[in-house]
Amino acid sequence: MFDFLIQGFGVALTPLNLGLAFLGALLGTLFGALPGIGPINGIAILMPLAYTLGLPAESALILLAGIYTGSEYGGRMSSILLNVPGDAGAVMTTLDGHPLAKKGLAGPALGLSAVSSFIGATVAIVGLTLFAPLLAVVAVKFGPAEFFALMIFAFASMSAMMGKDPIKTLIGAVLGVLISTVGVDSGTGVLRFTFDMPELYDGIDFVVMIIGLFAVSEILLMLEHAFRHDQDGEMAPIGRVMVKMSEVMYCKWAILRSSVIGFVIGVLPGTGASVASAVAYTTEKRISDRDNTFGTGDMRGLAAPEAANNASAAGSFVPMLTLGIPGSGTTAILLGALMLYNINPGPMMFREQPVVVGGLIASLYIGNVMLLLLNLPLAGVFARVLQVPRWILVPSVAILAFVGVYQLHSDLMAIYLMLAIGVFGYVLRKFGFSLAPVVLGFVLGGLMEENLRRALSISGGDVAILFQSGLSIGLWIAAALVVLVPMFAGKLKAKFLPAKVS
Amino acid sequence: MKLAADRVLSLLLLGLAAFVAVQAWQLQVPFSYDPVGPKAVPLILSALLAVLAIVLFVRPGAGGEWPTGALLLRLVFTMAVLGAYAALFINLGFLVTTALVSVVIAWLFGATPVKAVVGGLLLALGSYLLFTYGLGISLPTGSWIEPLLGSH
Amino acid sequence: MPNSRIIPRWLVAVVTGGALLAGAVQAQAKPPECIAPAKPGGGYDLTCRLAANGLQEAKLIDEPMMVSYMPGGIGAVAYNHVTGVRDDDPNLIVAASTGAALNLALGKFGIKHKVDDVRWLGALGVDYGAVVVRKDAPWNNLDELMKAMKKDPSSVVIGAGGTIGSQDWMKAALMAKADDVDPRKLRYVSFEGGGEALAALLGEHIQVFTGDLAELKPQLDSGEIRILAALSEERMGGPYADIPTAKEQGYDVEWPIWRGYYMGPNVSDEAYQQWADRLRELNETESFKKLREGRGLFPMSKFGDDFHQYVKQQVSDFETLAKEVGLTQ
Repeated sequence: MFDFLIQGFGVALTPLNLGLAFLGALLGTLFGALPGIGPINGIAILMPLAYTLGLPAESALILLAGIYTGSEYGGRMSSILLNVPGDAGAVMTTLDGHPLAKKGLAGPALGLSAVSSFIGATVAIVGLTLFAPLLAVVAVKFGPAEFFALMIFAFASMSAMMGKDPIKTLIGAVLGVLISTVGVDSGTGVLRFTFDMPELYDGIDFVVMIIGLFAVSEILLMLEHAFRHDQDGEMAPIGRVMVKMSEVMYCKWAILRSSVIGFVIGVLPGTGASVASAVAYTTEKRISDRDNTFGTGDMRGLAAPEAANNASAAGSFVPMLTLGIPGSGTTAILLGALMLYNINPGPMMFREQPVVVGGLIASLYIGNVMLLLLNLPLAGVFARVLQVPRWILVPSVAILAFVGVYQLHSDLMAIYLMLAIGVFGYVLRKFGFSLAPVVLGFVLGGLMEENLRRALSISGGDVAILFQSGLSIGLWIAAALVVLVPMFAGKLKAKFLPAKVS
Repeated sequence: MKLAADRVLSLLLLGLAAFVAVQAWQLQVPFSYDPVGPKAVPLILSALLAVLAIVLFVRPGAGGEWPTGALLLRLVFTMAVLGAYAALFINLGFLVTTALVSVVIAWLFGATPVKAVVGGLLLALGSYLLFTYGLGISLPTGSWIEPLLGSH
Repeated sequence: MPNSRIIPRWLVAVVTGGALLAGAVQAQAKPPECIAPAKPGGGYDLTCRLAANGLQEAKLIDEPMMVSYMPGGIGAVAYNHVTGVRDDDPNLIVAASTGAALNLALGKFGIKHKVDDVRWLGALGVDYGAVVVRKDAPWNNLDELMKAMKKDPSSVVIGAGGTIGSQDWMKAALMAKADDVDPRKLRYVSFEGGGEALAALLGEHIQVFTGDLAELKPQLDSGEIRILAALSEERMGGPYADIPTAKEQGYDVEWPIWRGYYMGPNVSDEAYQQWADRLRELNETESFKKLREGRGLFPMSKFGDDFHQYVKQQVSDFETLAKEVGLTQ
């Protein structure tokens, strides 16, 4: 039954493919670590190179998959060190990762996130190996009604993020959803809030949004701190570099739960690392944040989204390899890369192309180990970024923001939009808003509206469709529990919720 | 003063809510297969935003410290520099604009002029080499440089 | 601003030096470029790569072709760019498809943009619309499906990867029209791209998917789906030989999805001809035929002025169609 995997390891362990897996891991980490330049850019840039070099299909795929998984590892670095997410899946990582760096724990934070990423990816790759064809059947059962229920559940878990200023959290989320409505309406093709600017027809790009919101506003805040010479912006000196075993053990349940959540969400077509890490973070906060330490540098708040975004990256290979349907924006490009090689991924691929599928899955195992070995010692090196003087760091952030957006859009309007969103983000932060609800509203709100309307188009307006399948009923119950249970005894929470969610 | 900040915000949000509502209301929809249509969600959001804005007006929280005087000037100046960076990015090319912008920002962040110039130039050159040769990303050369060097 | 007087002198000297150096580095002739008016990974990206890889393998270009991305406005941003900023760049081609012609006809590129604003260069391949159902669907042929739809349009849930007014929707609307059913009476669900719509079909959320023929080959091979009709002029060969066209089943609907390119309006006739010749030559090479097949495209040979007239005719046809199905007045 696992012939393809044995064959795959034979392929992946050839010197060329091992070297390519390493190169992919290294470049991926780098692409992910640079804010604004994510796996999509990385793969788009290296795809023609792989083709031009005449690499065989499995080798090209090993290189590109290495970049994909590597960038999920790398994305966390600038999140932790600079409070600027390196890519879409790393937004939630800023919430507890950056406060940890401010406490002088940048090294352990990087180490812990590497370990969480490793575990998340491993859980997902094992899941991919064992259950891929089976999962594919379940994944397609997830229709618009189920997606809508999942979004309801995600918003319900967000109630955990209310924090000290619930009104501003809500306003932030509403603003985020509002931003997601910009562009061509997916149901009717009507243009909403585009003001006759074609640049806005496709909606506001996620990269432009997070780079503006985080990187540009961070530049302005750093300027303020530098001007006032205040302590708030200063980093504590870097203490120890390595993460302790006890810290990993402290997060073990957070990591395992989030790995499963990330994998499952990654498998669903149409959702990616950003949704996976958001749901994992809010769920974890709901389950285990008893002392309200999430958001202030809680290790579990860092481990959860990191495990989830790596798990979802591996999970999104499931629909791609088994159904020929991309599970995320990045696998969509991988699919394109395979088509250049006359390989059409689909239900027959496991049988017809065992070398490619097996080689890919085997290389995911190998690449994942490489990434851990590469990233653990690098934690200390990268933590030194914090010691770079501001007058070099800040222009570097600006350069990366510009290049990242320009590379994706070749268009100045996108850069102006990024700057405008930056000012918006700065003003929000000065008013005491957290940016996370805005991003969550943006990511989840659009999906929620689209899927609600799709479900109702299917049923011809009958609302009953939202509660018809077992999957959606389960999600509705979970959503209700997530809101209601904490209102009652705290002890109940510990008993019931983990069982319902996982 | 602090209370006033949140109240100003709540008025701005009310304005935004009204704007969203008017814009959404005016959408021309030829026809829609779902009963919700493209108008409903923006309208619901604007109503929600209006309610939240009113709550914020009644119970304003502690606003942050707002920049004034020299700091405000510097912030505006930084945004202007970034705006100019964008405006000149394609015509002047990556290297020139990046060098100029890096020098100015470095100087804004307290580097001495010598450090700022050397650091800015190295950053521009280093990042150019990293992106172009290391990562294979193509960056604008600058339209002025092409006739100068006689290439097409 | 302390010491601000010192900066300019430093700057002028060193910056000019650095810039000249950069210029020298990039002074070689500009490589040919293909703009994909979308994010990486989509159909336009693949259209660009088809030209880039094909031309390079056939050694029809000296330097590798660069592919850059210009998403926004379903192609409108790139159209604006090429009609405005780089209107005479002899090294630049832009990927386009039937979708671009449709958007032009619907005025989605802005009222001021017309089909003649660019020079349509040529197409390297074409796919055709397809009416797809699950393997266990109750309809054995197109006629049965259409009769069921005619009896009660809301009894059949159709889904596809585009909004009202998109190509996928047009296919469904034209089928309805051929059956004398008002397209507005359909039960139609729009997804984000064909992949999601296909997933919804396999998951039994929708019953009919108006997709593209060659893109469905893997699912067709595995027997998960059945294709009731190809929206092509005549039957396609190879693995598709058993799939009847809509026309031969009595419903006169065709939907070719060509993949081609355009250039700026002020590109010289010389450069335009050179590119058209290159594509024409490429189209005949054996290596390209394999590449095209792998990309899931059928041959289409229209280049230069021939192609320009084709697109022009198509846009005007679409304008009429849009009125007929009730999209525009």
